Amino acid sequence: MKYMLLLTQGAWQENGTEAERTEIYQGIMEWFGRQWAEGTVVESNQLQPPATATTVVLDTGGSTLVDRPLLEAKEAIGGYAVIDVADLDAALAVARSFPMPDGKIEVRPVVER
Amino acid sequence: MFREEAGRLTASLVRLLGDFDLAEEMVADAVVEAMVRWPIHGMPDRPGAWLLTTARHKAIDRIRRESRYREKLTLIAALPESTTREPDDRLRLIFTCCHPALDPDAQVALTLRAVAGLTTAEIARAFLVPEATLAKRLTRAKQKIVAAGIPYRAPEPEERRERLDQVLRVIYLVFNEAYLTTSGDNASRWELAHDAGWLATLLIRWLPDEPEPLGLLALIRLHLARWPARVDDEGGLVLLKDQNRLAWDRGQIDDAVSLIARAAAMGRPGPYQVEAAMQAVHCEASTWEDTDWPQLLQLYSLLASMDRTPVVLLNRAVVVAEVEGPGAALEQVEVLARPLARYHLYHATRADLLRRLGRDVEACVADREALRLTTNPAERAVLLDRIGRGTRAAGRDDAG
Repeated sequence: MKYMLLLTQGAWQENGTEAERTEIYQGIMEWFGRQWAEGTVVESNQLQPPATATTVVLDTGGSTLVDRPLLEAKEAIGGYAVIDVADLDAALAVARSFPMPDGKIEVRPVVER
Repeated sequence: MFREEAGRLTASLVRLLGDFDLAEEMVADAVVEAMVRWPIHGMPDRPGAWLLTTARHKAIDRIRRESRYREKLTLIAALPESTTREPDDRLRLIFTCCHPALDPDAQVALTLRAVAGLTTAEIARAFLVPEATLAKRLTRAKQKIVAAGIPYRAPEPEERRERLDQVLRVIYLVFNEAYLTTSGDNASRWELAHDAGWLATLLIRWLPDEPEPLGLLALIRLHLARWPARVDDEGGLVLLKDQNRLAWDRGQIDDAVSLIARAAAMGRPGPYQVEAAMQAVHCEASTWEDTDWPQLLQLYSLLASMDRTPVVLLNRAVVVAEVEGPGAALEQVEVLARPLARYHLYHATRADLLRRLGRDVEACVADREALRLTTNPAERAVLLDRIGRGTRAAGRDDAG
């Protein structure tokens, strides 16, 4: 089954020293490396910071643009990964192993046609 | 009979079909068919087997109509007719119902429906929610299990502890709902409490090497043993210190104590075992004054080391009052002011301690705060009574 992992910005990205942050990023890169090698991750991307986001609001009248991400700073999405695993327990285990000290990860099944 | 059977059938069918929702529906349909046919044609020799076969045939018919499941169909049709209903199935079922990806409310509802066989109406009544709300809750949970791919299996050894805690929590939630609520009739409270006990018994049967289910059952039995003394003739709540201990069921207490011993022999203490041991200390005392308070305090300290929540520390302070006096206890209670500001028992406990220290006016204020925070009619009655007596006592002091 395929699941989307939506990775949020963590407080760790604001706090701590440059060195600490670099170390965590390094750990994350290594984690992705392993997951790709094992065939767990089938797609993934880090997104540029939330400040670079533009939100398009669609309505019957037309559309408007907002210079903000969908979700506010603390919960903004930082990246995503699509994983292919046996079931939810496996997906949750992958999410729980993500090497960041804080933050949230939404795990949602992908509609497969 | 039907409730147990329905639970077992659902479990077997889920294993065959891999679809919770479908299994439940087919079992329900099979039962309805039984209720229509059996009075006319007579009961079959093996009703359980008849139900399972009927449910399977219905499932096959349903699946035939859905092309996506064509391969599953070959699978089911190929399986031999089976009437053995393994305990493994029930274990898988209860762990699936109590999966942590589901909301706790949903876990409770699902467990009572699929494992204990309660009807939606019965569950709704027990938890004082409209039946439609509960039905929706169940549907959402079942849909999530299927859509999100919650696997139908018992946990692996490394996840066992965490997942078992979840199941125990659900069972204890059910018990507390029956034990603490006083609305609804007493008979259905009693039945629900026993359903919780029954679920704990099942767990023990399926997981004979785990001590915590034994602890939970002992805890439930000890509370049930005191049930007759807990409510007075008018339906009011009687506090532990005022209960008629002769009304306690000694047989249940002895049973519980041997369960605790069985658990202790496994050498893996846990919160339910400790809570059971604490209740056993109360149950073995012939009067409130004779209670082995120092031992109780030790047990509370042990519990606090496993489960350092404010509520545990609050209850521990109550015992401290008996061992070191109300002054020391009050100090420990007031430390918990912020986390427990909205917990009525925090204020009630504080009130009790203040009263024992002669600070009646402050005690009344605390009791009123407790009253503001609880809707339980029996507890309100106790608090109102205390406030009433407190006011009269203050009046006497003024006059004398």
